[in-house]
Amino acid sequence: MFRHTPLRYGVLVLLAAAALFQAFTAEYFGLEILTEILILAMLVLALDMVAGFGGMVSLCHGALMGVGAYAYAMLTTKAGIAPPVAMAGSVAITGAAAWVIGAVCARSHGIYFIMATLAFGQMAYSWVFEAPVFGGDDGLGGIARLDLTMIGLDLTDSRSFALFCLFALGAAYGATVLILRSGLGRSLSGIMHNEQRMRALGLTVWRVKADVFGLSGMIAGLAGALAAQHIMFVSPGLLGWTVSGEALVVVILGGLGTLVGPLVGAAAFVVLKHELSAVTPYWHLVVGVILIAVVMSRANGIFGWVEARWGARIDRRVADATRKQQPGEVVSDA
Amino acid sequence: MANDLGFWTLQALNALQLSMLLFLLSIGLTVIFGLMHFVNLAHGSLYALGAYVAASLAAVGGFWMGFFLAPVAVAGVGILLYSGLIRRMRKSGPMAQVLVTFGLIFAMLDLTRIFWGDLALAIEVPALLDGRLSFLGVEYPTYRLFIIALGLAIIAALAFVLGRTQIGAMIRAGVDNDAMAACLGINVERLFFVVFCVGCALAGLAGAVAAPLLSVTPDMGLQILIPTLIVIVIGGLGSLKGAVAGSLIFGFVQTFGAVLAPQLASVLIYALLAAVLVIKPVGLFPAKG
Amino acid sequence: MKRAILAALGLATSLAMPATAEDIKVGLLLPYSGVYAALGNDIDAGFALGLETFGAETGATFEIVREDTEVKPPVALGKAKKLILQDKVDVMAGIVSSGVLGAVRDMVHGAGVPLIVANAGNDEATGIQCSPYITRMSFSNGQVNRPMGTWMAEQGIKKVYTLAPDYAAGRQMIDGFAQTFTAAGGEIVGQEFTPFQKTQDFGPYLAQAKASGADAVFVFYAGGEAISFVKQYDSFGLKADLPLYGSGFLTSALYVNAEGPAAEGVITALHYVPTIENDANKAFAEAFTAATGRVPSEYAVQGYDSARALVEAVKAGATDRESLANALRQVSFDGPRGPLSIDPATNNLIQPIYVYETIAGEGGLTQKVLAQLPAERDPVNGCEMAPVSN
Repeated sequence: MFRHTPLRYGVLVLLAAAALFQAFTAEYFGLEILTEILILAMLVLALDMVAGFGGMVSLCHGALMGVGAYAYAMLTTKAGIAPPVAMAGSVAITGAAAWVIGAVCARSHGIYFIMATLAFGQMAYSWVFEAPVFGGDDGLGGIARLDLTMIGLDLTDSRSFALFCLFALGAAYGATVLILRSGLGRSLSGIMHNEQRMRALGLTVWRVKADVFGLSGMIAGLAGALAAQHIMFVSPGLLGWTVSGEALVVVILGGLGTLVGPLVGAAAFVVLKHELSAVTPYWHLVVGVILIAVVMSRANGIFGWVEARWGARIDRRVADATRKQQPGEVVSDA
Repeated sequence: MANDLGFWTLQALNALQLSMLLFLLSIGLTVIFGLMHFVNLAHGSLYALGAYVAASLAAVGGFWMGFFLAPVAVAGVGILLYSGLIRRMRKSGPMAQVLVTFGLIFAMLDLTRIFWGDLALAIEVPALLDGRLSFLGVEYPTYRLFIIALGLAIIAALAFVLGRTQIGAMIRAGVDNDAMAACLGINVERLFFVVFCVGCALAGLAGAVAAPLLSVTPDMGLQILIPTLIVIVIGGLGSLKGAVAGSLIFGFVQTFGAVLAPQLASVLIYALLAAVLVIKPVGLFPAKG
Repeated sequence: MKRAILAALGLATSLAMPATAEDIKVGLLLPYSGVYAALGNDIDAGFALGLETFGAETGATFEIVREDTEVKPPVALGKAKKLILQDKVDVMAGIVSSGVLGAVRDMVHGAGVPLIVANAGNDEATGIQCSPYITRMSFSNGQVNRPMGTWMAEQGIKKVYTLAPDYAAGRQMIDGFAQTFTAAGGEIVGQEFTPFQKTQDFGPYLAQAKASGADAVFVFYAGGEAISFVKQYDSFGLKADLPLYGSGFLTSALYVNAEGPAAEGVITALHYVPTIENDANKAFAEAFTAATGRVPSEYAVQGYDSARALVEAVKAGATDRESLANALRQVSFDGPRGPLSIDPATNNLIQPIYVYETIAGEGGLTQKVLAQLPAERDPVNGCEMAPVSN
């Protein structure tokens, strides 16, 4: 089960402060990057929820985000539905799709689960790519952003839109924490640790997995609806498996099963990518070497490394003061 | 569309040829996974490397030089990878392995671009295998028949090694239970090393064989990765039988899907994969259980 | 997020005439990584050569800001925004894939920044989605293939089987061909679209083409797919009974050498062939080969002519976004491709199309021009263009 430690709170506050600072001071391109980070952060949050706390390593979350983006695009441009309703609709559609995928794949484990989710992701990709109604390879343009002028926010402005995404990410984070702390979330971590036992206890394992996968899909769908509004354009590339792969890399890079870590990972990954691609067209090479170096350091990602190094110490201090927390539990909990 | 027998023979040969190419790639990946529980996503990159090395060598010393030396070169890279990275990664869990092999994909993609550029390369089919042969009443490119024969020969060789020799018995024991195999006095580490190198060499061979058929591009490794993973997952991990069955299923579904249901061709194989995993969550012929 | 790559092409003349020097900032939006990196590099080299060759004719200094689209529409849109809002470029050029063009179209149109399209060929960009700010110096998918339909029918070819990758450009290329070919009395006896960038083995489709009873096959493939296709077509021995025709990208100078002897005898049509005989092309081909060591491809000439168009617009007195947009629509000149002009109704380039055969020459494959088909303008395709104000 997920628990906030003082370290996690501290990093969250720092991240939020940095995002706000960036939102109010950055130039246009800085805002673009901030928004990109926020949307990716939401996607990896959804992925960490299933992968880090349920052992469901999904290679279709990129595709789920794409489903959300296309749902929003189709609902607003082709069906003429108002943006707020379309956003809710795209979240619901993605959630439903994710629920079905979760239910079907619930019996698979490990690499088989990864491949099964990949299969569904690729099916969605191929379908979107080939069906003319979705605009095929050329994508769909002319997507409107949410109109929040009645509360004084003009989302066509990059700064307001970045702040809006930050708010949405905060809400998604809160929802994720609540889900993981609920009975459902506890059952999920029980399943991850010992599926047999949970089954023996009378739990309908596939239902729990499907429900959590569906909820995770809703968050991915929200990320997709925001991505569609951000770039005001959708293309099949959004659903490609490399997007899912990158999301997985970001989760692991940040620290699987820590929620906060993947947020750090998202920021690090996007900034690294932009800085490097400005210097060399071979930035993949540098990113690849960094990934390998992170793994060879034998830490659970960037944040996991920080936790292992300082987290236990801070915790112990807090535990001594409160006599409530057990030292060392942080790492095993993650 | 033609209803004559020749047309279908031709398509069956096409399917078989594709299957054999995929088999060369998937057998290495599946046995490495079965034995070491190691998901090497960079297997496709080794295939691309094999194709590039073969293309470079072919420009110097002809096709056969590339054909024989590319697997050796790729196995050499495999040795470096094994001793530098993979041996240390063995105990670190699947997540770390995904990350490190993803990092390798990124790095090797750009390394091939730096060494060989962005332009596609190609190799000519050797004179010996150029042209066409009459086979089962159809004219079929000799080179494609060569791929089919090569694939069948390697299946036979591997079946013999795995089924009838001592090292094969050791590998099977290792796949079944590596800790127990180690207790019985098998040097499991050395076994891993050998299997990893052979797997890399086969990937390099697949690249060298595919190069005259296709074009050699930096992203060919990424393109082949997904089909290879589908093959080993449909077939079930760790077994020769699984790799053979998976390759044949993929080859035939892909080829006949393109002929009979072109609109569904690209979705068909994924639907099949999903269906297999729903019915048999560990594939058709897994090594264990 | 400061960009490191600011290639300032400070030309000698700008130093000579500092008083009148205008500074034109050009944003070059091209794929420098990803599947189209080779195309991006060729366009870039052509563009640089174009500025170097003609830039001196103006008193202006041209400063290039390069951005990598990675062939990903979202990335490209972010970079386009950066060029427009942060670098405040006067004009943008480049764009290889139609998907990227579709993504940046609204942004460019809304911000009123002139864009010179140096490759992307989707018919809509100069059709229903046209903009007075978007001028295309490359081609449109239909434009390249329509003349070929008529020409092939004139050669006495009656029945054709077509193949192309299953995406918008593939369909538009084939549609353009099929439209004029059937209008001239030809018959399409079979048509197949192969999964885009996922098809490596064309064997199954070739067997179908063979069994279709066609006189010839017409295809569109590009890049790696083109190489695989041409080689596999030859390996099945189809070339003798079933001649291969296609859109000229099939045997582009960029990769025809990778196709090798398999490409010999393939007849295709394109807006540029390196062996076109005119003085402008001779000068261009020599300069390009001297600079890069490669034979110029159609991509290189598109970059070159884009730079030339920009120079012509500046020569006409344009200095800012608005005036550049207006001036770009009116450029016309004789380039390596022959006489070029912009169609005022759509902003698409009007250019001749060349039918050529790939043949063995000294030191590799070369192109023999069989026919020059007259320049033809695209149908308006729903383009309604408001003139740029004032």
